[in-house]
Amino acid sequence: MTEFRLLLTGEDSGARNMAVDEAIMREFRPGDKPTVRLYGWRPPAVTIGYFQAMGEEVNLEACSRFGVDVVRRITGGGAVFHDAELTYSFVCGEESGLVPKNILRSYSVICNSIVSGLRHLGIEAGFKPLNDVVANGKKISGNAQTRRDRVLLQHGTVLIRVDVEKMFSLLKVPDEKLLGKMIEDAKQRVTSVEEQVGREIYFEEVSQAIQQGFSENFRAELVKGGLSFGERALAEKIEKERFGSDGWTYLR
Amino acid sequence: MKGSSVHKVENGKMLRVSLEFGQGKILEAKISGDFFMHPEESIKLLEDGLRGCGLSEEALAGRIASIVEANSVQLFGFGPKDLARAIMEAVQ
Repeated sequence: MTEFRLLLTGEDSGARNMAVDEAIMREFRPGDKPTVRLYGWRPPAVTIGYFQAMGEEVNLEACSRFGVDVVRRITGGGAVFHDAELTYSFVCGEESGLVPKNILRSYSVICNSIVSGLRHLGIEAGFKPLNDVVANGKKISGNAQTRRDRVLLQHGTVLIRVDVEKMFSLLKVPDEKLLGKMIEDAKQRVTSVEEQVGREIYFEEVSQAIQQGFSENFRAELVKGGLSFGERALAEKIEKERFGSDGWTYLR
Repeated sequence: MKGSSVHKVENGKMLRVSLEFGQGKILEAKISGDFFMHPEESIKLLEDGLRGCGLSEEALAGRIASIVEANSVQLFGFGPKDLARAIMEAVQ
């Protein structure tokens, strides 16, 4: 059976979390085992996609007031409020053949790990192109991928609980008058593990299920490991130079 | 002159365009949104490549498509015509 490295890095700041994902990708060498990392966010954070304009998407004053970190990702996609959530990242080499070269198909293959994992919680979910996993027609997971030097990084969310009102207070709304309607719309379009299973559920249980999901989907054994010295050092460097810098955060 | 637009692509993502233009041509274009582009650095090629482009939907779509093709850029969430339309909306 193929072996993957499993990293359970716990809860961390937005900048640290994103730096670790990038460090794993950049330190990856041909022949290395793929890594599945599962993590959480403390304090809560908003991340925006690489191409998003910070000023258009995030209510910085509200984030500051609530002690919510703000971070620009290296991956595209939209603005995400990370709070009661399990986040995964998956890093592998393109040459491994584990994942299709075609980006759209690769999203489907990797997201299928989430679909499998959710099934272990009794949730019937499915992949919705380009980059969503939906349960009963509502989005439960958003995903974003980047590839660099023949290495792939995909990270994504599994919403455990969602507070739509809180989410909207942190993101910019084009028209305040429409806020009520937008909140109602979002409640129709977005769901969480807790809403789907109809009971209180916490990170550990979701983590176990997602681990099983990855294992089944890729027919791999997930073996617990730690960050290498090189990964740790690079993550610190990236955290300081990139994610902690205003030049990056306010890039566009 | 300056202009901006927000354009939701049907079955796609959101495009935000911030434009500086004059004499029927783009001076500076800033494109943002929740789309994906590979490689990510291509956004700069696109914005740089749009400078001096005439402000017609056809010219814009053509310029965008040729930049994309020349640099093997992969776009997800919008196509050249969508961006051209969004730019024209910023001019209105």
